[in-house]
Amino acid sequence: MASKRPLLIPSPRTPNSQDLPSIPLYSDLVNPQSQSANFKSFSPMDSNGNNPIENSPIPPNSTTLYSASQRSISSILSANSGGNSVREVNFSDVGTKPVRYGSRGTESEAFSMSQKEINDEDARLIYINDPGKTNERFEFSGNSIKTAKYSILTFLPRNLFEQFHRVAYIYFLVIAILNQLPQLAVFGRGASILPLAFVLLVTAVKDAYEDFRRHRSDRIENNRLAWVLANDQFQQKKWKDIRVGEILKISANDTLPCDIVLLSTSDPTGVAYVQTINLDGESNLKTRYAKQETLSKLPEKEKITGLIKCEKPNRNIYGFQANMEIDGKRVSLGPSNIILRGCELKNTASAIGVAVYAGRETKAMLNNSGAPSKRSRLETRMNREIIYLSVFLIALCTVVSACAAVWLRRHRDELDYLPYYRKKDFSEGKEDSYNYYGWGMEIFFTFLMSVIVFQIMIPISLYISMELVRVGQAYFMIRDSRLYDEASNSKFQCRALNINEDLGQITYVFSDKTGTLTENKMEFQCASIWGVDYSGRKANLQGEQLGYSVQVDGQVLRPKMKVKVDPELLLLSRSGKDTQEGKHVHDFFLALAACNTIVPLVTDTSDPAVRLVDYQGESPDEQALAYAAAAYGFMLIERTSGHIIIDVQGERTRFNVLGLHEFDSDRKRMSVILGFPDKSVKVFVKGADTSMLSVIDKSLNLNIIRATEAHLQMYSTIGLRTLVIGMRELNSSEFEQWHFSFEAASTSLIGRAALLRKVASNIEKNLSILGASGIEDKLQQGVPEAIESLRMAGMKVWVLTGDKQETAISIGYSSKLLTSKMTQIIINSGSRESCRRSLEDAMVMSKKLMTVSGVTHDTGRSSGGAATLALIIDGTSLVYILDSELEEQLFQLASKCSVVLCCRVAPLQKAGIVALIKNRTDDMTLAIGDGANDVSMIQMADVGIGISGQEGRQAVMASDFAMGQFRFLVPLLLVHGHWNYQRMGYMILYNFYRNAVFVFVLFWYVLFTCFSLTTAITEWSSMLYSIIYTSLPTIVVGILDKDLSRRTLLNYPQLYGSGHRHESYNLKLFWVTMMDTVWQSAVIFFVPLFAYWKSPIDGSSIGDLWTLAVVILVNLHLAMDVMRWTWITHAAIWGSIIATCICVLVIDAIPSLPGYWAIFHIGKTRLFWLCLLGILIAGLIPRFVVKFLNQYYNPRDIHIAREAEKFGNLRELGGAEIEMNPILDPSRETTR
Amino acid sequence: MNTKGATTSSAGGTDGGSDSSSSAKRNSKKPKYSRFTQQELPACKPILTPGWVITTFIFVGIIFIPIGLASLFASERVVEIVYRYDEGCIPTNYSDQKLAYIQNSTTNKTCTRSLIVPKQMKRPVYVYYQLDNFYQNHRRYVKSRSDKQLRSNASEGDTSSCDPEGVAPDKHPIVPCGLIAWSLFNDTYGFLVNNEALEVSKRNIAWKSDQEHKFGSDVYPKNFQSGGLIGGAKLNDTIPLSEQADLIVWMRTAAFPTFRKLYGKIEMDLEANENVTVVIQNNYNTYSFGGKKKLVLSTTSWIGGKNDFLGVAYLTVGGLCLFLAISFILVYVVKPRPLGDPSFLSWNRNPSGL
Repeated sequence: MASKRPLLIPSPRTPNSQDLPSIPLYSDLVNPQSQSANFKSFSPMDSNGNNPIENSPIPPNSTTLYSASQRSISSILSANSGGNSVREVNFSDVGTKPVRYGSRGTESEAFSMSQKEINDEDARLIYINDPGKTNERFEFSGNSIKTAKYSILTFLPRNLFEQFHRVAYIYFLVIAILNQLPQLAVFGRGASILPLAFVLLVTAVKDAYEDFRRHRSDRIENNRLAWVLANDQFQQKKWKDIRVGEILKISANDTLPCDIVLLSTSDPTGVAYVQTINLDGESNLKTRYAKQETLSKLPEKEKITGLIKCEKPNRNIYGFQANMEIDGKRVSLGPSNIILRGCELKNTASAIGVAVYAGRETKAMLNNSGAPSKRSRLETRMNREIIYLSVFLIALCTVVSACAAVWLRRHRDELDYLPYYRKKDFSEGKEDSYNYYGWGMEIFFTFLMSVIVFQIMIPISLYISMELVRVGQAYFMIRDSRLYDEASNSKFQCRALNINEDLGQITYVFSDKTGTLTENKMEFQCASIWGVDYSGRKANLQGEQLGYSVQVDGQVLRPKMKVKVDPELLLLSRSGKDTQEGKHVHDFFLALAACNTIVPLVTDTSDPAVRLVDYQGESPDEQALAYAAAAYGFMLIERTSGHIIIDVQGERTRFNVLGLHEFDSDRKRMSVILGFPDKSVKVFVKGADTSMLSVIDKSLNLNIIRATEAHLQMYSTIGLRTLVIGMRELNSSEFEQWHFSFEAASTSLIGRAALLRKVASNIEKNLSILGASGIEDKLQQGVPEAIESLRMAGMKVWVLTGDKQETAISIGYSSKLLTSKMTQIIINSGSRESCRRSLEDAMVMSKKLMTVSGVTHDTGRSSGGAATLALIIDGTSLVYILDSELEEQLFQLASKCSVVLCCRVAPLQKAGIVALIKNRTDDMTLAIGDGANDVSMIQMADVGIGISGQEGRQAVMASDFAMGQFRFLVPLLLVHGHWNYQRMGYMILYNFYRNAVFVFVLFWYVLFTCFSLTTAITEWSSMLYSIIYTSLPTIVVGILDKDLSRRTLLNYPQLYGSGHRHESYNLKLFWVTMMDTVWQSAVIFFVPLFAYWKSPIDGSSIGDLWTLAVVILVNLHLAMDVMRWTWITHAAIWGSIIATCICVLVIDAIPSLPGYWAIFHIGKTRLFWLCLLGILIAGLIPRFVVKFLNQYYNPRDIHIAREAEKFGNLRELGGAEIEMNPILDPSRETTR
Repeated sequence: MNTKGATTSSAGGTDGGSDSSSSAKRNSKKPKYSRFTQQELPACKPILTPGWVITTFIFVGIIFIPIGLASLFASERVVEIVYRYDEGCIPTNYSDQKLAYIQNSTTNKTCTRSLIVPKQMKRPVYVYYQLDNFYQNHRRYVKSRSDKQLRSNASEGDTSSCDPEGVAPDKHPIVPCGLIAWSLFNDTYGFLVNNEALEVSKRNIAWKSDQEHKFGSDVYPKNFQSGGLIGGAKLNDTIPLSEQADLIVWMRTAAFPTFRKLYGKIEMDLEANENVTVVIQNNYNTYSFGGKKKLVLSTTSWIGGKNDFLGVAYLTVGGLCLFLAISFILVYVVKPRPLGDPSFLSWNRNPSGL
């Protein structure tokens, strides 16, 4: 089972079959004659590698073998066509195509794809070393990159264009334009443009700053230097001047400037190692190969000419399809022949290649887009209320225009001379209608004007405020020192800025296991060899602290990682092959050292005499096994494509790797065929126990198989990952037969993967068992506590893992996901019918349990003592269930279970499970994972979280949030999620209220102005209202307010339930708020109306009174709801009120406005102040009373917890105390 | 397998002891601690306890009821004489043709009435005219003015916003232009007490700020009321706008369709039961739209004119607050809930309950 995970990671070594090179052009290679002719040309190179065993056991066609095995490593194997295959994830295509999670239809698709030809129209032609001709007909992109969006000239138009993609801004703009029409001019031109201009300006400044930074980094990038072939020698050239078709030379540790097809490397076999950390974050080395046809060419000496025909630029970093015509031959190129921009060349002195994609057409650049944008649930719900508000708006406008219509109709005879209307205009000499366009038009204009006047009913500023608030919330999440992971030095990352508040409403948590719950640091723990269990005594090694080391040429070679060894086993391994026992141990460790795809890297240390061997590989299990083998004296120190060198107890031994069948998810095992120095040929196989036991010859050593099985059982119950190792010696006829079919399969044109699989299963049979290994996958710190907290918070934790059932269950127990109180339902079926039956049985059982325990199990939140159900289901069953009518049943069953464990699931199935829940409930889903196999799930879930741990960064790249450890999920959701949800919910309601109050005040006044839409409040105040007067406090509160302290929230995870119950934002709250709005606006308007009726008050003065009353009232309203007053809150709220007063004073000090000096006059009267006071108190009383009654007699959990927090009887709150582990755990610090 | 682990373990030794100092050197991404970034700023966390709420309501009640009483009392003390004359001042022979009467420049519009002072009116006695149903806040009306023109002689031609009273038929600008000025109120009142004329002072009836900054002392009326349609009062061409108090008062457009405008002040006490004879020049046409005209004589108080609303409102709010306070006390006594009582927590209540 070792390499299962990595192979599910789409990697260059396991391309999808549609990525395979197109075959027909390749036909000459099948011809044996021409083939061997080719190979002869480079066989001398192979022999100049140091070769301790000169007389190789397979002299006649050894080179052919090498080449064959090399190819098998490189590109041919594929896992995904046929059988009960589950499609591999190619993470760029999730979401673009309809994705199937089940089994149907994959085979045919893969098959047809493999035959695809590159059409001439779809291809780009690259003439090697002839950039002129290459670029002649086509405008290929140059290599200068431009991540910056704007130049100085294009900034204004482009930025505006982009900003106006938002609907809200268009609404803004349309209103502003309407207002420019003279018939509709409600506000002055300046005043009506101001808010829009302000918002545009703020955004533009932000964009400009970001773009400036991009410009700077672009400049640095573009001016880097690379060696480019010109006039038959390599010259330095700036990156931006590199053109497609040019030949480049890359030295070790250089970064690739563009995507190149390898022509040759310093390695005689044409291997180059690259690190793709900048591309996908995986730090281990990947191998790339130059084609044999170009290997020996030296561009400086002889001119290389050739034509590469490759696909158009695309963003699939794991796919490349091309062919090359060189020396009259056509060679196909695959993903293993191309090195992408951003990779670094490692461990290879130099590499020469031809640029095929440059600049923005490189795959790295095409992939340079952010995470897909998601929309928060709250925002979606908010949009419903926005529609209500629009209805209000239209209703208000309709009322106004209807009244205006009636009024105009009733007064139609008077209008001509009415002193305040005066339809007739005599000034031009002849009688004329002044500004009157007929009854119908007047009504229409009235409607439009009322839309302009009441425009802020739709709170456009809310969108901007929400963005600012989210930025602020993200700032505090990022800066939270409790979300910082000391071990990996990684901060919390907010990659998606618009779903902060969703963190407060999560119901389903889908977690990956390896690397998420566990550390993904595999450690070899125990072995069962030949039926003997070597475990238990994890002896602390006194003198062995250095681990195993060997002397080579006076230098000490040491494996980089130390492994604890079992002294008894160590002794045995050193005893040699003399005893039977020793021989088995020898074979076992030889298998561990050889049967893998690990690349050993020898690195220097500070001590010149000591060099470290670092095992680079895609599978942590394989690494652990290789280190274990090294610790017992079987150190892999060199791997080329044709042989490996293992230091066996101090003796360098060369083994020819005659063939290698890589791991695939159908066989679930891998095998290597080794040619021993003594000319014997053996096949070593390692794989998952189920698949291995079926190919082990049961007639041999039945006792040992039984014993091993018992050990396996034991290992998996203590949570170890197990692997079974077997071997078989091949006689020459068997070998010949295998070799022939292997050759045929690996060069076949159609269905190569299936053929290879067949070849592999033919050789992987009748094995004799060697033993089994147990690898510990350590649980991350704090995981059990975290899971318990999440469960108490009412979340359902589902674990989706690729591990096998026993391991998954044991991890489930150790992580407290499963408890002994739970009833386990295990679904483990091999066909659709049996799936249906087991689902039905499980349903019956669950119903029975429910009735017995008498719990009305609504959503599983009652985590009381009642029997809870745990569903354990495996991937095979899911294949039959997902995408079929059984899905619904599974959902029904799963929603009754409080724990679901899915084992042996493929990446796309993970997404399928998430989709199962997401499509059927309104509950929020969260997926957390660390590896590329979690990408589909992370993107599918409402909230995707990536663990920025050891295994690459693909999960992080696809995620919305990234953090270092699983346990941070608890503070993230329970604390930040809760706060953010509560803040955002309140903020949206408040913004609705704030704008609606203002609109209603305007509306009431319109009823007293002949429906002519006069506003007593000056236009400047109307415009500044949502910009200056009331915007800052709500933003500050949205960022800073906290209903409960972090400690309380962590101690009582149940408080998280407020998000599930939508306590901070729901339709009821909306309507209550709106009723309050009507009341408050009525108080604001009618108190002055009655107080100043029949008085000499002028419009401007009373307008000022209304302005101040509205602003102070809405700010006091906010102040009343603030739960945590810091100095910033004080400053924002009181500061806003003061700023408003200043603005009103300033506006009234401008003599050219009609309201000149009004505030100073009215401010001198006592009536004014009494009105103001009366408005504030009367306006707030209902809300205050309701709030108090609610909190006191119908308290929510949050209210009680707040009281308890304040009055100090937290202890009595009930519920189990959960102490979260402090972040700085001393034991953790010392052990590392 | 674990490159990162190796580097941290080597650095871990130095890191363990002096965490903050050495980790800063080592390019640690650990967020720096501050109370701000950890959202731990000192804060006040108010909670609505019954004590607070009841205190607040009692406090509001205690403040509001005296204010309400004081306002009511003040309002009561204001003496106000309101006389509606738009109907009564039409001669009986014109009672069917009010419009014809008012538009006819030859008819005698003088109308004499006598009013009885109900209570002593201490000086100054303010003389207002009150118009009902006159929408001085109509959008078309409010906009039809040119503040620039009013302010300085230089912008005399700035009449673009004054339609339909911007320019005279001979294309010369009207000063002051616009509908507001055009419709200037032109009824006049004369007062006699015991056949002695009472002086009605026009001093300080307009805002000082308006006179000084809004209406230019170098702006003189031009072409005013010279067009085909006469809207209201004519202005003396020799007096600058800043001295035209009636115009300035009129130009402060009223907020509501029923409004008063200050006509003048009588700087004399009027005794109770005194007979005041009013001579009204009934010129202004409100008959075309059914507007009412009233003459108002009123004293003033600290709260302004006669208006009981505020007092009643304050008493209501104050009373309500006291009532709420009392009922909260009662409810609190009958059914108290200990604050922070965990038994009310949802997960501690029995599942069948609330």
